[in-house]
Amino acid sequence: MRFIKSLAGAAASATLLAAPMTLAETITIATVNNGDMIRMQGLTAEFNALHPDIEVNWVTLEENVLRQRVTTDVATQGGQYDVMTIGTYEVPIWAAQGWLVALDDLPADYDIDDLLPSIRDGLTVDGKLYAAPFYGESSMVMYRTDLFEAAGLEMPAAPSWDFINEAARKLTDKDGEIYGICLRGKAGWGENIAFLTATANSYGARWFDEEWKPQFDSDAWKQTLTMYIDLMQEAGPPGSASNGFNENLALFQTGKCAMWIDATVAASFVTNPKDSQVADKVGFALAPDNGLGKRGNWLWAWSLGIPAGTDSEEAAKKFVAWATSKAYLELVADKEGWANVPPGTRASLYANPEYQKVPFAQMTLDSISSADPKNPTVDPVPYVGVQFVAIPEFQGIATAIGQQFSAALAGQITAEQALQNAQVLAEREMRRAGYPK
Amino acid sequence: MARAITPRQKWTFTLVAWGIGLLIFFPILWTILTSFKTEAQAIADPPVFFAFDWTTENYTTVQERSNYFHHFMNSVIIALGSTLIGLAIAIPAAWSMAFQPARRTKDILMWMLSTKMLPPVGVLVPIYLIFRDVGLLDTRIGLVIVMTLINLPIIIWMLFTYFREIPVDILEAARMDGATLREEIIYILTPMAVPGIASTLLLNVILAWNEAFWTINLTADDAAPLTAFIASYSSPEGLFYAKLSAASTMAIAPILIIGWFSQKQLVRGLTFGAVK
Amino acid sequence: MATQHSRAAARLMISPAVILLLAWMLIPLGLTIYFSVLRYNLLMPGDNPFVGLENYEFFFTDPAFTGAVWNTVMLVVGVLIITVVGGTMLALLLNQPMFGQGIVRILVIAPFFVMPTVSALVWKNMFMNPVNGLFAHLAKGLGFEAFDFLSTVPLLSIILIVSWQWLPFATLILLTAFQSLDSEQLEAAEMDGATGVARFWYIMLPHLARAITVVILIQTIFLLSIFAEILVTTSGGPGTASTNLTYLIYAQSLLQFDVGLGSAGGVFAIILANIVAIFLMRMIGKNLDL
Repeated sequence: MRFIKSLAGAAASATLLAAPMTLAETITIATVNNGDMIRMQGLTAEFNALHPDIEVNWVTLEENVLRQRVTTDVATQGGQYDVMTIGTYEVPIWAAQGWLVALDDLPADYDIDDLLPSIRDGLTVDGKLYAAPFYGESSMVMYRTDLFEAAGLEMPAAPSWDFINEAARKLTDKDGEIYGICLRGKAGWGENIAFLTATANSYGARWFDEEWKPQFDSDAWKQTLTMYIDLMQEAGPPGSASNGFNENLALFQTGKCAMWIDATVAASFVTNPKDSQVADKVGFALAPDNGLGKRGNWLWAWSLGIPAGTDSEEAAKKFVAWATSKAYLELVADKEGWANVPPGTRASLYANPEYQKVPFAQMTLDSISSADPKNPTVDPVPYVGVQFVAIPEFQGIATAIGQQFSAALAGQITAEQALQNAQVLAEREMRRAGYPK
Repeated sequence: MARAITPRQKWTFTLVAWGIGLLIFFPILWTILTSFKTEAQAIADPPVFFAFDWTTENYTTVQERSNYFHHFMNSVIIALGSTLIGLAIAIPAAWSMAFQPARRTKDILMWMLSTKMLPPVGVLVPIYLIFRDVGLLDTRIGLVIVMTLINLPIIIWMLFTYFREIPVDILEAARMDGATLREEIIYILTPMAVPGIASTLLLNVILAWNEAFWTINLTADDAAPLTAFIASYSSPEGLFYAKLSAASTMAIAPILIIGWFSQKQLVRGLTFGAVK
Repeated sequence: MATQHSRAAARLMISPAVILLLAWMLIPLGLTIYFSVLRYNLLMPGDNPFVGLENYEFFFTDPAFTGAVWNTVMLVVGVLIITVVGGTMLALLLNQPMFGQGIVRILVIAPFFVMPTVSALVWKNMFMNPVNGLFAHLAKGLGFEAFDFLSTVPLLSIILIVSWQWLPFATLILLTAFQSLDSEQLEAAEMDGATGVARFWYIMLPHLARAITVVILIQTIFLLSIFAEILVTTSGGPGTASTNLTYLIYAQSLLQFDVGLGSAGGVFAIILANIVAIFLMRMIGKNLDL
């Protein structure tokens, strides 16, 4: 009987065609299938307890699919979503296009000044906040304290690339399926390019010079890529050319990596005994440097933005304010413990004595505070962004270059060839886009 | 007269065929098995086949996260709706091509098939813009329209090959008796064509059920079918093989079961007139 | 015999299908051609100026272009060879007397019902993953080093996955064809002393010609625009080693959001599809008396 009813209901709503449902306020939220977002989805009932009149629909997608879907939708004003999960790369560009609703009337208890300055800066255009940070991250070194001890090594609080290289090779035991280091190799501007661009910064490389001329033919890039490929071939896991954040997380959680340099947000997953077999054996250190004054750590914040032209702006704002509020942090802490709250957005969280007990709290805050998107490289650059370049053309160029670097890691081409191709690709696209502007 | 065959030969054929059959089926079996494991057992080395602690926890988790029934109903409506509308348009067309072949019939048929070779990615943005303007984004109607159009050539061709097999003499006889065109279709043609129509229906339900480009790109939540449901289990954080297996099993089970039950029908339909 | 009246009726009956497909073809095609001469990037809204053939120039000089055409051909031909040869042998086997033939047929047909996305996800993660995949476990169990399928032989891996999906289709059509073979003819040949190979070559294969033609036609239609399997497994990489035309166009229009460039690629792909269609039509005309 229930089946028949649903069938009739479905048929009825199908015949309603595209008529927007204006009776009850419904918002559709597009988000990434990351752990913190899935938890947020699980807490929808708590939001509805406060706002029973707002119905929430979730569209949870894998990152690449999500990005393509929301970008297509916002750029064509498709209006399929009321809240979109986007990052610090998209927000300034989209805000400048007028695609996002400014969040300038958040409730007083939201305490906007509590947001970490570097994160807030990245989401602010002309003094207005255009997306609310859900969680913020930098990158750092996560390592296995037990393996380091067994090998007689000690991880400095602020390691150099030389140390990382040496330790990784020493710790590798391929027969025992322990790999010295796991790094991103999967092609994508949010995957290997994020890691390699941040690393290149610490080697003194940059994407463009002040005239927007691509710099992949520089010596610093060659050093970066050669170091990375040699290191991964000698001390990395097999198939690293297709490992992204999630694949490496699984490897680290199952005890296959001695070190992993990646997003600070991973700290709570690798120390969670429910998912991680190495939960009590993880230490943290700052991302490595090369003695040039810049560390290879990035800055990112997954944030909730509201596309301009949504027909449920007020409801969407209520949701965004709720999901990024102090109260939400407390709610998660209450249900899952402090270690599992979405990190890296609020100063008050790091001032909380309860949260300070979490082993990775201080290292996360230090990493986030030390990233400087306005001043990311050793030599001056015309762009903003640590692991990305905040221009619309970046996605396309970086996607293609990410493929080249991934091919080099897979051993299909040499590092030199990959950089040559990268240079050609970047020059081509920049010429097409009409730079220098 | 069947060729003589020794029992030994028969056993050999049986063993080889079963071996190959199980090998081909193995990935599906493995997916189903994995869906009942814990995440740790799912990646265990050496792999465990049956001796693990069977759990339905993955199915619960998947159901908590996404409303399976909602996506399932969307899949049913889109697959069935597009096939039925497709048949309504295709039956007359295939009928006239089979019984009133003109000089250009073959060309028209081939042209229809060639529209199916166009790469969908090339026209996504135009279609997206059109759908936005007429308000068809994320609606079942919109997807039914698209699915109907992309499968129409296949439907027409399958029906055409069936109808051609129907002896024309019967129709001639009916015409002599003064049957009108309508009567011809309803009383003579339809009963003879029903098996063909049934297998066309089956094949197109399968094709529409499994289509994953348009269904993902033109929907958000309201009209999202099972293909979109699967997309949220692809490479999440942490271990996910068991959850992915559970979601996969849920997505393919309905069509697998229908397919198995109707395989005789389907096999006949699949020949596309290749076998006389 | 057809009268004027019934010819008009026939035209009337065929017209909805023709009109709909014509609209489905022409409207997007028209827009695609129109977009292909504009500078039109979704991320950079503006007046989308007319740029003539600039998009085509960039598309044809794209470093990935030649490889993509080649990969498209390899993918179609590779899968066709595997499924036609494998399908013929499998059909021959299934046509023999055996116990539980119905169940074996159910096992063999199953992959055809699996969503391409699901099958790609399952193969990529649970079988081909070099650390946690079943093949890696198997290799290690036998004392070999795990083989990294998707980075070492990406295109071949995809061909294998796609072949797994299409093998049932080929097998079933060919099996039906075998079953319709006149057994007396075969027996006569056997009496005349023809060997098994000769019987297969001179009697069975000619009989299968029509069925093989249909397999090739239908599969080519679907294989030309293989997309989900590539997106899920390799995203066209490493490098552009497994990028086919469809994926290249996807990367340009939906990863770079360069609709103008993607549209130029779309126009090229449409022309290519039509060339293939004409070629297939010739072939069909010979083997299939439409």
